[in-house]
Amino acid sequence: MNTLSKRACLLAGGIAVVLAGSALYLIFQSRAARSPDTSYTACIYRDGQMLRSIPLDQVSETCRFTVDATDGGYNIVEVSPGAIAIVEADCPDKLCVLQGPATDSLLPITCLPHRLVVELKPGTDTAPDAVAY
Amino acid sequence: MRTRKLTSLALFATLALAIYSAESLLPPIVPIPGIKLGLANIITLLILHLYDARSAAMVLLARVLLSALLFGQAMSLFYSLCGGLLCFIAMALSCRLLQGHFPELTSIVGGIFHNIGQLLAALLITAVPGVLVYLPYLLLSGAVTGLFTGLCARFALSRLRRFRPLP
Repeated sequence: MNTLSKRACLLAGGIAVVLAGSALYLIFQSRAARSPDTSYTACIYRDGQMLRSIPLDQVSETCRFTVDATDGGYNIVEVSPGAIAIVEADCPDKLCVLQGPATDSLLPITCLPHRLVVELKPGTDTAPDAVAY
Repeated sequence: MRTRKLTSLALFATLALAIYSAESLLPPIVPIPGIKLGLANIITLLILHLYDARSAAMVLLARVLLSALLFGQAMSLFYSLCGGLLCFIAMALSCRLLQGHFPELTSIVGGIFHNIGQLLAALLITAVPGVLVYLPYLLLSGAVTGLFTGLCARFALSRLRRFRPLP
């Protein structure tokens, strides 16, 4: 085998290892995140600061509130029992709305243009409805 | 730089810009920030293989700056620069390592590093370490979209090389 094909094989092997690693991680992660009896606390961050944390199993009825972005935009967050979603926003790509409701800790909802992240963490140990503006 | 080369590179930059704007009209494939086809990278790949790394860097910079001016918000320039530069460095090294062969491998490397760069930008901007859980999704999608753009570049290269010597 000449040097070139050896290099190509090494590179392809490296890529394959990285991809297999991510695939395995995803499989295990999704199993861990989908255990049905976990309760989650939703943490809303803007510019890296936590604005609110809401224990989702203590939510009894659906409600909405607006999170103002630092650049003047807004995101409307809807909290329902066990789920949280961004239902409306004035960001250009609307990816945060398209991501739909989050019910597990698999992926946070992110609105990059507004620097907003909604992350679900297992457990309810944070103070209920703690507000830190 | 000879005028002919300057003109060709300017044409390539225009092509990249056109591809980029056409792609931005497509709806997002999956609702995960950062996952997109990255078709404009075909042009970077072509120049990397037909000319040299310096020319490719200049065309990439021209495309990123112009697209931010024409269609972008202030934020998207930062994302494009982080992703684009990391992707470019990785592709230039890979292209040198493979001596200009296997453009699809180089493109996969580029796609992966582009997404790593964008995730680092997102980490800097949101300042929430939790966004790192996107990493495995972005690595996989970067490889898939990289393979696609790499194959596009391979077919384009096999046709463009008939016009050798290129200006």
